[in-house]
Amino acid sequence: MRTRWLFAGGAGFSEETSEMGLKENLHEETVSRLPIRDAIAVAPDATAREAVTKMRDKQLGCAVIVDDHRTVVGIFTERGVIDALIDGRKLDDVQVGQSKDPEFMTVKETEPISKVWDAVVDRGQRFVCVTSESGKLLGLTGQRGLSEYVSEYYPQQVMVQRLGGKPWMKHREGA
Amino acid sequence: MTKTTSTEEFKDPLKQYVPVQYATRLERSLAEEPITAIQTQPFVEVESGVTVREAIRTLHSLKVSSLLVVDGGKLVGIFTERDVLERVAERFEELADHPVDEVMTENPLVVYETDKAAAGLSAIAVAGYRHVPVLNVEGRPVGIVSPHRVLAFVKDHL
Repeated sequence: MRTRWLFAGGAGFSEETSEMGLKENLHEETVSRLPIRDAIAVAPDATAREAVTKMRDKQLGCAVIVDDHRTVVGIFTERGVIDALIDGRKLDDVQVGQSKDPEFMTVKETEPISKVWDAVVDRGQRFVCVTSESGKLLGLTGQRGLSEYVSEYYPQQVMVQRLGGKPWMKHREGA
Repeated sequence: MTKTTSTEEFKDPLKQYVPVQYATRLERSLAEEPITAIQTQPFVEVESGVTVREAIRTLHSLKVSSLLVVDGGKLVGIFTERDVLERVAERFEELADHPVDEVMTENPLVVYETDKAAAGLSAIAVAGYRHVPVLNVEGRPVGIVSPHRVLAFVKDHL
């Protein structure tokens, strides 16, 4: 029996649930299992200012450039914004289609998570566009989605962390 | 109050102690290895007071997505691509010569080098931060963890 191994840590896990782990599930589970955020879709001729306004409002680091059929043709990222500022170009004068990230990647929601893993971990992609079987944009995943997915396997380690506290004392008190 | 000295009467409270069992190598590493087992360097520091233009130039030329802003070696803020997007991009001409301190994120979430590796994953996956400075006990930056670095650590321990 193949059961997803969600809570891997600590005592009490059964043999049934220990059959599969994170490594196996990366190949067995599909991209639809990952956290997928709504994407900002813009046309290639949208200005960088339009994209920036939407990205800021949605607190998202990229806008996905799509054609008339909602097929992904590129992404415009925060890096594109910085490039434009450094080049002295005004955001109103830059079309996102001319300033897209050349290394964007798309995956179908039915493909294995390992494909996203390869893009993010091995190729350093931050965002991966998720599409339907027909290639239409469904949303975004990437570093963040993958991190959340991995953390689900280790709740007993991840959920108990005391973040932002004070460090251990440099010198011990007392004896 | 009498003091028990007989070993027969002494009951060791640790006798029932059961060592922590980890299901996988990765879980053990997250729980027991220090956060510095994750790649935390290189990272880039700029001094408090540099201009927004200089800071963005540094992000661009070094191809990094965050800068740690320090004052006398102590971390006072972080300036990231997200700060550029949210606070600078639409007002760049107006803000370019202002100090980066005006647009950086002050008092960012930090982890300490004495924290465990799981703290890095927690800061990113649970708290939702993308750049998490690593400080030593004196409050000086010694590194930064990012989703890519944490996931590379996970990969190495799968």
